Amino acid sequence: MASVALSEAEKVYIVHGVQEDLRVDGRSCEDYRSVEVETDVVSNTSGSARVKLGHTDILVGVKAEMGTPKLEKPSEGYLEFFVDCSANATPEFEGRGGDDLGTEIANTLYRIFNNKSSVDLKSLCISPREHCWVLYVDVLLLECGGNLFDAISIAVKAALFNTRIPRVRVLEDEEGSKDIELSDDPYDCIRLSVENVPCIVTLCKIGYRHVVDATLQEEACSLASLLVSVTSKGVVTCMRKVGKGSLDPESIFEMMETSKRVGKVLHTSLQSILHKEESLGPKRQKVGFLG
Amino acid sequence: MPGDHRRIRGPEESQPPQLYAADEDEPPAARDPTRLRPVYARAGLLSQAKGSAYLEAGGTKVLCAVSGPRQAEGGERGSGPAGAGGEAPAALRGRLLCDFRRAPFSGRRRRAPPGGGEERELALALQEALEPAVRLGRYPRAQLEVSALLLEDGGSALAAALTAAALALADAGIEMYDLVVGCGLSLAPGPVPTWLLDPTRLEEERAAAGLTVALMPVLNQVAGLLGSGEGGQTESWAEALRLGLEGCQRLYPVLQQCLVRAARRRSAASPS
Repeated sequence: MASVALSEAEKVYIVHGVQEDLRVDGRSCEDYRSVEVETDVVSNTSGSARVKLGHTDILVGVKAEMGTPKLEKPSEGYLEFFVDCSANATPEFEGRGGDDLGTEIANTLYRIFNNKSSVDLKSLCISPREHCWVLYVDVLLLECGGNLFDAISIAVKAALFNTRIPRVRVLEDEEGSKDIELSDDPYDCIRLSVENVPCIVTLCKIGYRHVVDATLQEEACSLASLLVSVTSKGVVTCMRKVGKGSLDPESIFEMMETSKRVGKVLHTSLQSILHKEESLGPKRQKVGFLG
Repeated sequence: MPGDHRRIRGPEESQPPQLYAADEDEPPAARDPTRLRPVYARAGLLSQAKGSAYLEAGGTKVLCAVSGPRQAEGGERGSGPAGAGGEAPAALRGRLLCDFRRAPFSGRRRRAPPGGGEERELALALQEALEPAVRLGRYPRAQLEVSALLLEDGGSALAAALTAAALALADAGIEMYDLVVGCGLSLAPGPVPTWLLDPTRLEEERAAAGLTVALMPVLNQVAGLLGSGEGGQTESWAEALRLGLEGCQRLYPVLQQCLVRAARRRSAASPS
């Protein structure tokens, strides 16, 4: 993760402020920075989204390709995640430096989607044991400003909402050979339901309290964080302790309650924004990267 | 006579025959959700490692070795204010490098040694759970290597590896604040989902969710936490966490005895 050098006085200032529920930029402990979400930014993908959370900038592209189902689950499709920490984000990611962080984030994404209810994998099956849709979700980290996991999960949810998978039919003729037919209409596609896709809420322990959406400076003052992946209904799909410090059991219980509260608010605002953007239709003004 | 590997092409992939067998639908026998399997732990068994430990719990067998402290690779780091108790400044602290490996024959399917993403994730989980317990500030510019080898996976493999790694570190004489004890849990699906402590492999495979907790028993601090699956609401996970912490506390006396025996064995072996 990008690191920032803080003096002892700055650390003390941040820690004391957090005890009084006042952070350096004026937010309270449970407030997010303002988030900008835009979907459909890359034209060569089946779905894409860009999320800007303070100084953190994430771009996600989803490509749907046809593949063979896994042996243990013959009538389901699957998702593959790849996270690339670009050297633009911070000089530490130059060359192979960002690989470790990229693998860690990808493994966390696999974990949070590793259950039956997040994405309906059965709808991605074309013909059992032979063909299925594989969704390759590629995450690009353009700028690192703290709180990577939350921003990435929001971007993945938005990109999956935006994904359009073309409808295919498998035709079988008299000899038994199968042929795949793609629908002629380019707008005839399957959309995924993202009702149960979870979002990650990272809570950093600073002093005796915990904060949501920490900036780089606040992350430098925190020794341990709890990462909770929660859906819009409050169902928790993944929990992980991150960092080199330890956590008190009581504070873990408090953090879980906070994540449930904060997660619900995050999901409702994200859903309303995504629906609003979709309702503007193809004629909406695209902001892209220069806005 | 050696086969001609260039012309005779065998199948690229191979699968175990169990994949094609009919589903055995006998659910695991009902049991007390808070039972811990009997644990056999022994420290100080490898002659080449600085510290080592072997842990067996039910069908899970883990072997862990610690080497170091030796000089860390990596460039110069700056200096900063020194910590309390004569510890090195933050930039010069020692490093803990953890490695988690599964033997190819440990699970149901054969897995070739570079296991990919899952082993890296578990190695990272090991490191994050052990770092709060080890006094890395007392080993400036040094690195400690912990490598855990899973010989057989009988359920709660990560928890067993955590416990074995902590025992190995203690056996190596590394300065620690406290031991780290790991405990696994899994959620049995059904009309009334219940959390089971220390699941077997069969229970883990049928589970809807799994959780591994690492606790430092004397300090009562949670050193590591990793869980995923459809565990339900936060109350359900909180209940699982409480069950896990209780299990870790119950396991602690066994580990204390194991370390005392290892220390006695070592002092008996070296007459000084």
